[in-house]
Amino acid sequence: MSLLSIKNIQKSFDGVEVLKGISFDVNKGDVVSILGPSGSGKTTLLRCINFLENADSGQMVFDKAEYDLKEISKKQILSIQKKTGFVFQNYNLFRNKNVLDNVTLGLTSARKVPRDAADRKAMDMLDRVGMADYAKQYPSQLSGGQQQRVAIARALATDPEIIYFDEPTSALDPQLTGEVLTVMRQLASDGMTMLVVTHEMSFARDVSNRVIFMDKGVVAESGTPEEFFNNPKEERTREFLRMEENAR
Amino acid sequence: MQNVWKVIADSFPVLMYRGLTMTIPLTLISFAIALVIAIIVALVQFSKIPVLREICRFYIWVIRGTPLLVQLYVIFFGLPSVGVNVEAFPAAVLVFSINEGAYAAETIRGALESVPAGQMEAGRCVGMNYGQIMWHVIMPQTFRTAFPALGNELISMVKDTSLAANITVTEMFFQAQRIAGRTYQTMALYLEVAVIYLLFSTLISLLQRFGEKKLGAYGRQ
Repeated sequence: MSLLSIKNIQKSFDGVEVLKGISFDVNKGDVVSILGPSGSGKTTLLRCINFLENADSGQMVFDKAEYDLKEISKKQILSIQKKTGFVFQNYNLFRNKNVLDNVTLGLTSARKVPRDAADRKAMDMLDRVGMADYAKQYPSQLSGGQQQRVAIARALATDPEIIYFDEPTSALDPQLTGEVLTVMRQLASDGMTMLVVTHEMSFARDVSNRVIFMDKGVVAESGTPEEFFNNPKEERTREFLRMEENAR
Repeated sequence: MQNVWKVIADSFPVLMYRGLTMTIPLTLISFAIALVIAIIVALVQFSKIPVLREICRFYIWVIRGTPLLVQLYVIFFGLPSVGVNVEAFPAAVLVFSINEGAYAAETIRGALESVPAGQMEAGRCVGMNYGQIMWHVIMPQTFRTAFPALGNELISMVKDTSLAANITVTEMFFQAQRIAGRTYQTMALYLEVAVIYLLFSTLISLLQRFGEKKLGAYGRQ
């Protein structure tokens, strides 16, 4: 049984259809990469799945419970958000909190974890992403790559069933991209379930066990990285891969 | 000339006394109440609560669109004529807090809206509810942003309390008018009281600068 199952998710902004019925499953331990050209709806999809946007319609099965996305309640949304993690393109660390408090806040405020237990947990997570030495710094004192690693530690701290990554390296220069990808590779090999919107072809090819290719609001192709990169079935997939190749 | 300096010297402790026992308390009490009003009014608008939000817009529209002096007259001289008697000091506190509340509400609303949407989203993504995110993330950032503007408004308020002299509140300016009337040293007295207001304002701006430093910019220099 899959951990997350999405059926026929639809979303329009001001009459423009951005998601035209997307369906897919994510199993526990999967690392799924969502690829696709800009404007194909990848980010909107991820935001709808974690309720940062309200989908117009669709069904979701998450952690054995079924939800109708049109009728889902605020309480249900909150209970799902407590079991998921989200890593943003532009990090979105809490600007008024230091690194440690960024990681502990979800524990101490939303889950009533005692302060010392939360601190220990947070330090473990910061250690895992190589940021333990920066616990007392503020986000504005860190590089983009460091901020993104803290954001990953923040997502990890709440023991999520799945972590969503929304283009986690797109705001970073190549050198900083490397340090974030290293952390993500480590998570994947630790068995974390991850759904990753990315432009990093190497990550999609080497780390993920499945690739979903989106184009113009639909899933145009999906499969294993081997199939997808070596033997794409669809013409628009081939075109996309050619463009990515040329961009390098 | 001898007389002028003597009047100034004699009146100084009297004015200072009125300043410290009337002007400052009137300011601080009114400003504290105004902040409570402002936070509620700003949050109602930010959270887009229907009906209440329209009431808040109406309140801000009326208060910002009418003179403070007129508001004082309505409460202190107007209300008794319809059978509601209010003492001078409470009337002044009422008017100053309602008046300042409207301005501070807009300052705080602006600061609330300047917090990037990603901060709220990040809070939701770690499983916090709306209230928790407001309390731990949005409000602290809002106050950091609003602090300098609120400091300015506090300085304005210290000076505006002199208007309370018009409704018989025996604050510092009222006292100055009385001494001036008795001694005929109008220029000396009004300059003297101006200097004391300047002193108070300067003190507040120093406190404001100290507070800004204390609050810091979250690690930024």
